[in-house]
This record gives sequence, structure tokens and C-alpha cells, in this order.
Amino acid sequence: MADAAVHGHGHEDTRGFFTRWFMSTNHKDIGILYILVAGLAGFISVAFTVYMRMELMSPGVQFMCAEGARLIAAGAGDVCTPNGHLWNVLITGHGILMMFFVVIPALFGGFGNYFMPLHIGAPDMAFPRLNNLSFWLYVAGTSLAVASVLAPGGNGQTGSGVGWVLYPPLSTNEDGFSMDLAIFAVHVSGASSILGAINIITTFLNMRAPGMTLFKVPLFAWSIFVTAWLILLALPVLAGAITMLLTDRNFGTTFFDPSGGGDPILYQHILWFFGHPEVYIVILPAFGIISHVIGTFSRKPIFGYMPMVWAMIAIGGLGFVVWAHHMYTVGMSLTQQSYFMLATMVIAVPTGVKIFSWIATMWKGSLTFETPMLFAIGFLFLFTVGGVTGIVLSQAGVDRAYHDTYYVVAHFHYVMSLGAVFGIFAGIYFWIGKMSGRQYPEWAGKVHFWTFFIGANLTFFPQHFLGRQGMPRRYIDYPDAFALWNYVSSWGAFLSFASFLFFIGVVFYTITKGKRVEEENYWNEHADTLEWTLPNPPPEHTFEQLPTRDMWDKQASH
Amino acid sequence: MPLEWITRTEQAPEQSGACFPAEELHLWPHRSLTAKGFAWFIGITATALSLPLIAVLGTAVLWGLLPFMLLVLSGVWYGIRRNQRDLSLHEVLVLAEDRIALTRHNPRRDNQHWEANPYWVELRLHPKQGPVENYLTLRGSDREVELGAFLSPEERLDLHADLQDRLNQLRRPD
Repeated sequence: MADAAVHGHGHEDTRGFFTRWFMSTNHKDIGILYILVAGLAGFISVAFTVYMRMELMSPGVQFMCAEGARLIAAGAGDVCTPNGHLWNVLITGHGILMMFFVVIPALFGGFGNYFMPLHIGAPDMAFPRLNNLSFWLYVAGTSLAVASVLAPGGNGQTGSGVGWVLYPPLSTNEDGFSMDLAIFAVHVSGASSILGAINIITTFLNMRAPGMTLFKVPLFAWSIFVTAWLILLALPVLAGAITMLLTDRNFGTTFFDPSGGGDPILYQHILWFFGHPEVYIVILPAFGIISHVIGTFSRKPIFGYMPMVWAMIAIGGLGFVVWAHHMYTVGMSLTQQSYFMLATMVIAVPTGVKIFSWIATMWKGSLTFETPMLFAIGFLFLFTVGGVTGIVLSQAGVDRAYHDTYYVVAHFHYVMSLGAVFGIFAGIYFWIGKMSGRQYPEWAGKVHFWTFFIGANLTFFPQHFLGRQGMPRRYIDYPDAFALWNYVSSWGAFLSFASFLFFIGVVFYTITKGKRVEEENYWNEHADTLEWTLPNPPPEHTFEQLPTRDMWDKQASH
Repeated sequence: MPLEWITRTEQAPEQSGACFPAEELHLWPHRSLTAKGFAWFIGITATALSLPLIAVLGTAVLWGLLPFMLLVLSGVWYGIRRNQRDLSLHEVLVLAEDRIALTRHNPRRDNQHWEANPYWVELRLHPKQGPVENYLTLRGSDREVELGAFLSPEERLDLHADLQDRLNQLRRPD
């Protein structure tokens, strides 16, 4: 029998630094760790792109020379043989890092871990130690991915330049063990994501506060649940595909090798069966964050809660039946192409439901433009631009012209780089006061927003023009005809990078010297989810006593 | 409220001349997933996981994908079940004329048991001093044990009033 402990004392935070941050089993600490490591991986990945934009700034090769990579452009007198391998390694590294190690860990691992349990009123995740394992697997995966860039690879150089999709036969023929490290990196990150997804699904299904039925759960928690489910369904496919790639490389199997009866196109199908849900895994948590931010700063409850939830479920479901629109040019039958084209266009329906619900939330609201709201509106605009070019690209006929051009690059950066990343920044500015107990300076947030908004558009909007002119992706050099917009795009990238550095400064200033926020709900009464009933930062243990319905069910009062 | 009173009328005749049937109080922590919900979730997941497998039927690639699908399905199955087991903690309080007994069913440890005479039992509510707000304890047989520590403070408050009523009823000489 549990003997009574009348004089038991409450929990005090007695953990030392090492225990707290290296052996952490607390969902809030692990969330912060995820965001920090994702930020670091993001910095590496962004640094790659800055170097690539330097190279693309003018025609010819000035920086990535076979004689040695330069930081100062080669002049007329310098010998510079183009080093295509280095270029390929950088685009591969940028792709792998961004797809697996930056955006998903920040949104799903970071904000998901920190705020999903708070939103549903759970004391912690269902499996706290498994949560710790997920995080460290992610760190190991990131290290492997970075190591792969530096390990001996193809063409007698370091790193492998095969693209993040790792298509065979390119990936199976690449020399060195750099490619194997990249495959392991994706394996480990996949294991981390699957364990994290199991944890989040269990928490969401079984640990919601009393009375919180599925359709009363806040939209952010819903978005994290749908994302977790997509991870659970999509990542084993990727794990299987790259395992077969690994055995093809090392153990002489021929899953994807025609000489032994395999089929390289089948790899593309499997990869994109994972890859298309993956892009929704990237963007869905941002949808959740944006819903809360727009509701809060419009001072209205979100318009159309049920359609918003069902739109997320529909987007997740449709994500699994449209994959081959990434590969219209591999030689599918007309019927297959027609199906994938129609199915792809259908996605515009639930996405449109979300966009219009956000706009309807703002309609006749009492809007204020704090930094999170600026990022949310920026997200709305940019994601819509990316969505519209998506409809263009979904046309199998039109795609013949656009396939593998900069138009595609512009499209997916508008939805992911500008969409998901604006979601991350909106989340950080929205919640940094909650997470750190200190608030960012509003002017600095606004400077960051405007420089980043202008910089990112300057980078990617001209790439639509380049794509329409016919400039192909993944090349180190280009003819003079493409010079102007590449030059503009590069300046945009430098401005964006400067704003990113400024952002790092803002975060550093905020968590060390920012103004303390004592008020639990420092925005307004329309930020009505459960985290706003907690102090800033929340104590180590929250909701050990389950929250009661009046704490979270606020819709009637609005 | 995650607690329920069950009156065992069939036990009443066994009590010698009892006019008070034995009552059982079941208490359990809050859980939000129903058995039906679990079946739906696993069903949808399994169906969706088999979708890509249909596409690779008849190729060697099937054997490369299948193990990962099964691993994930069993993983999420085990995860939810394990979590439900962790939450399967529950307490049963039997209240009869001459006996009050409390059994605590622990998820991964032996059951714990306490028994006393209801006439001498003291029900105590500790609004602030306990490890949780409105901590509820029973004192008897030289031991003080906790009751419903996993309920919400308001639920314990109601339970305290209810149980005190029933104890008073039991002790009333008639």
C-alpha cells in the first residue's frame, strides 16, 4: 500500500548543468536542445548556400577551384579549374542537412516536444527516456552527416556529390565511404524521428487532459500529431530504401541494379513515396504555429477550427498518393501522369481551406503587428506564392519544360525555406518569452523580419525568371545570358545571411539581457492555450495535477 | 470523474444480520484513449503502411521494405500498450459494515493492501500539507494510507465528502 506521505515536500530543481542538459528526460529541456542543435545545423547548411551563391554571383568559376577552394574571387591572373565535385558535395550537404537535420528537428522535435504536451495538459511525454534517446540519435545523425562531407568520397576528393535524394546508380557508384556515412546519417535520423513519433503519438492519444476530446485539441498539438503519423508511415519506406542502397553498395545485392534484375526507377518511386509526405512533415507544424499566432494577434478565435483540423488530415492523406509528380519525366504512361496530375491539384483544396481560414481569422479582427504576426503574414504570402507555382509545376505537360530548372528551386524554397522557416521564426518570437522568461526587443525582431523578408524574396523570386529562361539546377556555372538574375539572387542571399546573423545576435541578447516578463500571458487573452497559464519560464514539472476544463476551454468566452 | 461506486448486493446476505451491503469504490487515473480509438489508430496505420508494399509486390524490394514496416507497426503498438499499462494503476476500496479494505493495483509491482475496522478509521483531508493539493488519507490499523492521489484536487474534495458521509452512515447506531 502506498503509505501516506503527509510531510512530503514539493519538487525542487536540484539538477546540475550536466544532468539537466546531457541526461535530460524533461520534454521542455529536450525541446530547447532540439532547437539549439537544429540552429547549429542550420547555420552550417546556410553557410554552404552562401558559398554557393558567391560562386553563382557571376558567370565562370571564381571560388570553387580544383587548385583549392578560395574565399576571394580568382582574378584574371589566377588559375582556376572548376571543381564540380565540391559544388555537388555542397548541394548534397545543404539538401540532406535541411531536409533531415534542420527544419524537422526545429519544428517537430523542438516546438513539438516543448509545446505539444503543454497544449494537451500532459505532465511530460509518455516515454521521457525514449525522448532523450531520440534527441541524441539526432545529434549522432547530424554529426554523421557533417562527417560525410569531410570523409573520403568520389572523384578522389572528400564528400559525396549525389544530391540529397541519393538516386542510384550515382549513389551506388560513388567511391569512398562518405556515401555510406551519409546513408547512416539518414538511418540514424530516421530512427530518431520514428522513436520521437511513437512517443508523440502515444502522448497525444493517451494523455490529453480530462474532457479534451480529439476535436477540442489546440491546432498546434493537432499539427504535431498529424506530422508524427506521417513520419510513422513515411520513414520506414525511406529506411528500407536506403538500407537496400547500402547493401547494393557494399554486399553485391542488385535491388536497384538492372544488370542483376533490379530497377533504379523503383528507387525513385520509393524515395518519393517517402519524399512527398516528407515535405508535409516539414510544413505541417508551421501550419500549427501560424494558426495560434494569427488567432492571437487578430484577437479572434481561429476561423473554422474543424475545417482546419480536417484540412491537415487531408493534406497528410493526400501527401501519400501524389509522389510521382516529382518524376513526370521518367517515362510513365499517360494514364499514370494524368492521375498524379489530378491528385496533385486536389491538394490545393485543403491548402486553400487553411489559407482562407487564416485570412478569415484576420478579417475584422483587431490586428497588431508584433514580430510573430509579421512572420505569420509573411508566411501566408510566401506560402501562397509557392503554392501557386506548385499548381503550375503539377501540370505534367508544363513540367516537361520546368523539370530540373531554377523554377523548381524557386518553388520549393518558397514553400519550405520561406514557408517552414518563417514558421520557425514566428514560433521563436511568439514563445521565446515563455521559454526563457525574457522578451526580445521588438525593434530588433522587426529589423530581422524586414531584412529577412526582403532578402529571401530577392534570393528566390528572380529564380523564377531564371527557370523560365531555362537555367538548369545543380550546375556550378552558367552562360552569360543568366548573369543578371543570378547576381540579384546572390545579393538577396547575402542580405538573408546577414539577417540570420543578426537574428542569432537577437536571440543571444534576449536570453542573456532581455527584459524579464513576469506576466504569464504576455500577449493578450486570445493566446488561450495552456502554456499561457504557466510562469515564464515554466517550472521543471508542469501539470502534475491535470488541468481542469475551465483552464483550456475558452472558446465560449470569445 | 474517474471513480465509480459499485454496490455488491449479493454479498449482503453473507453479512450476519447486516442491513448494509458491501460497497466497492474503484478509482483510476485519467486516460484519454479508448479501446476503440486504439483499434482505429492501429487499423489506419497498418492499412497505410501496406499501401507502398502493394506497389512492390513480386519484386525483391518488398523484402527490403517489409521488415521496417513491421518494426514500426509493432513499435507503435507496443508504445501505446506500454503507456496504457503504466497508467493501469488503480485502487479498489471495499466498504462493508465490519471491514474497510483498500487494494492498490500497481502496474509493475505487487499489489498493496490495507485493511481496518471502519468504526475506528479516520478519513483525513490535507488541503496543503500533502505532496498534492487536497491530499486524502485513511488512518486505521496503525497505518495511514493515501487514497486517489492521482485524482484532481476537486475530485478528492468531492470524494472526501462522499466517503465521510458513507462512513458516518455506517457508524450510525440504529
